Amino acid sequence: MGRYAIRRLLQLIPVLLGTTFLINYMVWQLPGDPFAGRCGQRPCPDAYVNAMRSQFGLDQPVLIQYWHFLTNMLTGNLGVDFNQVPVSTTLGAAWPITIRLALMAVAFEAVIGIGAGVLSGLKRGGFTDNIVTISTLILLSLPVFVTGYLLQWMLGVQLHVVEPTVSPEAPIDELIVPALVLASLNMAFTARLTRTSIVENLRADYVRTAVAKGLTNRRVVGIHLLRNSLIPVLTFLGTEVGSLMSGAIITEGIFNINGIGGILWRAITGQDYTIVVPVTSLLVLVYLVSNLLVDLLYGVLDPRIRYE
Amino acid sequence: MVEVLSEPGSRGTTGGALLEVDNLHVEFRTRAGVAKAVNGVTYTVDAGETLAVLGESGSGKSVTAQTIMGILDMPPGKITGGEIRFRGSDLLKLPEDQRRKIRGEGISMVFQDALSALNPVFPVGWQIAEMFRMHRGASRSDAKKKAVELMDRVRIPGAKDRVNDFPHQFSGGMRQRIMIAMAIALDPEILIADEPTTALDVTVQAQIMGLLAELQRDSNMGLILITHDLGVVADVADKIAVMYGGRIVENAPVHDLYRNPAHPYSKGLLESIPRVDLKGQELYAIKGTPPNLLDMPTGCAFHPRCPYKRDNCVTDVPPLNTVSGTRGSACHYWREVIDDSAS
Repeated sequence: MGRYAIRRLLQLIPVLLGTTFLINYMVWQLPGDPFAGRCGQRPCPDAYVNAMRSQFGLDQPVLIQYWHFLTNMLTGNLGVDFNQVPVSTTLGAAWPITIRLALMAVAFEAVIGIGAGVLSGLKRGGFTDNIVTISTLILLSLPVFVTGYLLQWMLGVQLHVVEPTVSPEAPIDELIVPALVLASLNMAFTARLTRTSIVENLRADYVRTAVAKGLTNRRVVGIHLLRNSLIPVLTFLGTEVGSLMSGAIITEGIFNINGIGGILWRAITGQDYTIVVPVTSLLVLVYLVSNLLVDLLYGVLDPRIRYE
Repeated sequence: MVEVLSEPGSRGTTGGALLEVDNLHVEFRTRAGVAKAVNGVTYTVDAGETLAVLGESGSGKSVTAQTIMGILDMPPGKITGGEIRFRGSDLLKLPEDQRRKIRGEGISMVFQDALSALNPVFPVGWQIAEMFRMHRGASRSDAKKKAVELMDRVRIPGAKDRVNDFPHQFSGGMRQRIMIAMAIALDPEILIADEPTTALDVTVQAQIMGLLAELQRDSNMGLILITHDLGVVADVADKIAVMYGGRIVENAPVHDLYRNPAHPYSKGLLESIPRVDLKGQELYAIKGTPPNLLDMPTGCAFHPRCPYKRDNCVTDVPPLNTVSGTRGSACHYWREVIDDSAS
């Protein structure tokens, strides 16, 4: 397993190089001059545009630009954005908020998703099962921005149960609704996956053995059945941590949260690529690392998996 | 648990055998119709006794066993009649909580395919130890020690080092030994082995059968051996119940049945065993196919395949006629069959 982990870590290097190069190249190729519109109603003077171009190295060949990016990233120097504010300052304040939001979302997915899935799987065709099936179908067919704006309008604007937007410090209680919105799709999918897995394993021979051993129903379900049924579910939850972070772009945008997603959202609309590039690169890294962790976790969850 | 069971059941003290299955009826209600899987099965097993239940797939032998264990899937399964008396009290009338305590403690079961019957994600030692932890409240370390002892007892080499291994890391024979270790962990009085050797190759089959016979001798438990393999039962069984279409068609002490079967179906089964002295001749096979449980033949279920068939076989269900002593045959013409087999 150690050798496998090292090999997988080494594989990350070419993947990271490839993706970050594409991000760098494509972002600066987007139409529109990021500096042209920064001077209010008047066009920017050539002197300003040229100064900015040379500051951010845009007058140099693509490969040189990429080399600068790599050396800067490896030395931990994220540079400054177009307003001359250090990018590391902006991101340093934002990461904790996004991580808090993502962890809350994962918790919702796991607790509500798995709970609903188990209940509906155990009593297939029952009342709970129907409720879960219908509500997950609704959640699955709604895009995140619809769920987000809907809940914001309903709970925040109409009913005044929560604040429509989150304050800059983003305390946990204000993040509950955004986290639910962020989790909604995966939560529904988790519930369905758990249900299928439970139904499938319920008739397995080892469950029958557990009953024949004279174990209580609670132990048969809670230990023997659940331990096997959760293998695919936990794998799914793990791989989705990465997409949760990028999904946070929409959610944080809607609820005006100053997390990574919110910053990325504003940077994209404001064409500030000095922020877009490092943030998307970091998201790629998060995605890759969480996938690696899931692959390693999989071997712990299912002893039949062997790493050659 | 013992107090409850030693109380005489409602009408359960008549026979006196340790386990009595009495006129059991089980059916499966499916969309295609009602499948009558078990139609009035009666047998008894006493301490130290081995009963072999013989029959082809769908004959109801496994369903009967699952009903005894209380692990029948209900629905679609439904017990429509009969009693299963264990130490005199009817298991079918016991509340689930008491029923559960009998599983593993009083009656325990070895399944056919140990790979799927063992939980893939827990170490084998843990799975054996679970019996002591859940039934006896043993601590983890004590239970594990006992698991190692049991693995030694079923002769798993290097038990101490293998106690933390997972089922997939064992060979088929070793897995079945673990299954057996788990089943005998709490010294049950009855052990049901449901085709314990079907998934194994022949040399391992013999070892497993030998192990079962030895364990039974040591602990004096009653053994119900469910199989479709006549060769397996000859050495270990005391008596045989041959099942066909959810009924017992013949029951007999094992040697009587081998010497001269009293039912055309058992006779056919015996004749279809390959024999060295008949080398070169065509192997006998019972013609036709097993009965469709959704649409059982009228009269005797075996009549469409029976060489002794007469008109009344199509209309009248043959009762289990007493042949002699404890022998019975559910054939109208058992005398003819037994005469033919004697010659």
